[in-house]
Amino acid sequence: MEGKGLTKLHVNSLPTLTWNFLKINDAKVEERIDLNGRCQSLIHNIPNGIIIGNAGCEGCSGCDNVNGFDIRSINGGMGREAGDFFDKACEDSLVIRAKKGVKVKEALCISYALKDTDSTAIKQVIVAEENSELTVVMDYSSGVSDGGFFGVQTKLYIGKGARINLVKIELLGRSFLHFDDIGAVCDDTGSLNTIQMELGGGKSYVGSNIFLKGYKSNYKGDTAYLCIEDQQLDMNYYIGHEGKKTSCDLTVKGALRDNAVKSFRGTIDLKKGAKGAKGQELEETLLLSEKVKNNTLPVILCDEDDVEGSHGASIGRLSGDILFYMQSRGLSEKDAEILMTKAKINSVRNLITDDKSIGKIQHYMEDAFSRL
Amino acid sequence: MEKERTEVNDVDRSMYDFRYSDKDSYKVNEGLTEDIVLTISKEKHDPEWMKDFRLKSLEVYNKLKLPDWGPDISGLNMDDIVTYVRPNTKMSASWEEVPKDIKDTFERLGIPQAERSSLAGVGAQYDSELVYHNVKKEVSEQGVIYTDMESALTGEYEQMVKDHFMKLVPPSDHKFAALHGAVWSGGSFVYVPPGVKVEIPLQSYFRLNAPGAGQFEHTLIIVSEGADLHFIEGCSAPKYNVANLHAGCVELYVGKNARLRYSTIENWSKNMYNLNTKRAICEEGGSIEWISGSFGSHVSYLYPSSILKGDDSHAEFTGITFAGKGQNLDTGAKMVHVGKRSSSYINTKSISKAGGISTYRSSVTVLPSAEDSKASVSCASLMLDDISRSDTVPAMDIRTDKADIGHEAKIGRISDDAIFYLMSRGIPEDDAKAMIVSGFADPVSKELPLEYAVEMNNLIQLEMKGAIG
Repeated sequence: MEGKGLTKLHVNSLPTLTWNFLKINDAKVEERIDLNGRCQSLIHNIPNGIIIGNAGCEGCSGCDNVNGFDIRSINGGMGREAGDFFDKACEDSLVIRAKKGVKVKEALCISYALKDTDSTAIKQVIVAEENSELTVVMDYSSGVSDGGFFGVQTKLYIGKGARINLVKIELLGRSFLHFDDIGAVCDDTGSLNTIQMELGGGKSYVGSNIFLKGYKSNYKGDTAYLCIEDQQLDMNYYIGHEGKKTSCDLTVKGALRDNAVKSFRGTIDLKKGAKGAKGQELEETLLLSEKVKNNTLPVILCDEDDVEGSHGASIGRLSGDILFYMQSRGLSEKDAEILMTKAKINSVRNLITDDKSIGKIQHYMEDAFSRL
Repeated sequence: MEKERTEVNDVDRSMYDFRYSDKDSYKVNEGLTEDIVLTISKEKHDPEWMKDFRLKSLEVYNKLKLPDWGPDISGLNMDDIVTYVRPNTKMSASWEEVPKDIKDTFERLGIPQAERSSLAGVGAQYDSELVYHNVKKEVSEQGVIYTDMESALTGEYEQMVKDHFMKLVPPSDHKFAALHGAVWSGGSFVYVPPGVKVEIPLQSYFRLNAPGAGQFEHTLIIVSEGADLHFIEGCSAPKYNVANLHAGCVELYVGKNARLRYSTIENWSKNMYNLNTKRAICEEGGSIEWISGSFGSHVSYLYPSSILKGDDSHAEFTGITFAGKGQNLDTGAKMVHVGKRSSSYINTKSISKAGGISTYRSSVTVLPSAEDSKASVSCASLMLDDISRSDTVPAMDIRTDKADIGHEAKIGRISDDAIFYLMSRGIPEDDAKAMIVSGFADPVSKELPLEYAVEMNNLIQLEMKGAIG
């Protein structure tokens, strides 16, 4: 992995372009990335029934193939150039698999601990075979002032009647460049639930490409973010409905403070033939400083009549009524802002069931708020 | 079992699809060259600055690229477009003096009747030139100026035109703004003095008769401090087998505490590329209201924009788009908040059927200076069959914390639940369907003057058949 440098990438491209003056059609990564492969990973817990690595499972001819389905055909949400970057940077993928019919409630937890100047990219493949269920919780962390690069690509295949719960917690230092590239395919009645906590990093690029291929397959995504100081967060979600009666529900909530910059692109693509499909997305952004910049672009593409698509966005400061209510109860304006920020982020955090992960998030947020 | 659907007829265009020979007209050659631009400038009796402006615009046009977003316009070949067609008549203030075939055209479109019954003034453009312009005496006595652009440019209002012409929409804005700057002709100039409230609307009607021609009219409206105006724009053309182009430009200056309502019923023929640019700027306390109905054209790029420069300025955009067979209509609005406490509201509806493509595209930009501003966007799309397409692409670029922005959008077909609800209250099924579809278009039609609401309802002839799907 060492020495595989990079100077420029176009990532998080919209599936349909709009005015160039908005500068939201894609994002440009212009930092040089020199990978050194340094990163400490720790798998805390491997529940019974979950197989890790290319363990020669039945029906598997390597980590690129699951019962005839080519994992390489799954595209990540960050786009082709990011995909090429991961392919060049990583020779192997970490494969996590639940075999047919195996349902595991206990979470598999992976921690990636990075230090200053660490620069690493990893690839993961998570497979839930027919009627199986698994939960994977992963966090990436470093010291608050550390810098470096951490990129993770996660490809998921959700088989018939299967379910994957994926939790990603990003707590990297303020000088880290971070890529999080997710690509998923859901077969008939397959379910994917994602919880993403984008709290750290200096510049973070997050892309999700969820393809609801099978009948009644569904996706539920909840993302919370906190951008303070000079943090920049660029998100691109694409949910493609191809199967009949597929459904998705994407909620993205967070707060911007100081000089933070955030872009959110969320596309629901109701393709021809996806009769009975329903897609909805919601974004809530709390703006807490005069120099913040927020870009929001919720897109619906509709090529089928027997569908329902909707999106909503609410962007703004704390309402005068809420502020007045809190101040009348003795809270300062700053305390009120912190309380409401916590409320937004915790509404997503509370969906996580792993106590250790919750503790890490809590610790990170208390530290961040103590320095405001 | 395949569900049945509500049948909604295409827009009835029969009243617009008639044509007259253009053999007596003067035309420049097809294509776009410096010689053609100079010929138009000479024909229009341009002052020197305008001639230079046209030539600079042509330079900009040649440098700019076609948009890399939006509907395909590869079927539009500028080498085939005639940019200036002058009908064989001069502008008149009397219908009696207008040549018979042109007069018949506007009679069939109902323009003279509308003037008599409900308008304060009318301008009628046929191909590249105004053929009729008249304003009621009591309105002109208030100091309101309503004239054709050429008269304004070459007469006593030249300086006012020079101060405002393509200052809001500079030729560098996009390729078709540059094209407009180079070859514009026709259009209207309106000036409303301070404090004057024009009680009944003014109207301009644009008719493109010549095949393979472009229409590039320029509308410049200045509403002074405390003044009030409703301006209506209508446009249509007969259908030909060759591409026609409309690349007009509308610039609206709304003064302090002034109000302007700009209503458009666009019903170009389905061989038309409608690449029109409309922009308004509002000073302190000023208000712009756009009412827009887009029914015609083969391809449309249409996004009226409002620059809310002054504190407490306000903009509203209410629009409906109906995309039928062979149509790709990309419509929406842009709002730019600059002034404090500025506010904007976008409310759009779109209907797609018979393979039509309707795209709602918008942007709301709130600059750091726009403290305490508010913006709200609501868009709804109705899909009437599974061979059509409807997309929404709304962007919000917010650069201050002191703003409140709300957005909501929905796409789908007529809800079974809504039909059931109405039927459970005793309303027959067909009536229930009719209520829902006409209710969908209601936010736009209720904003139009009565005569135009009737026209719009004629345009969307809703015919309910069978059960709802």
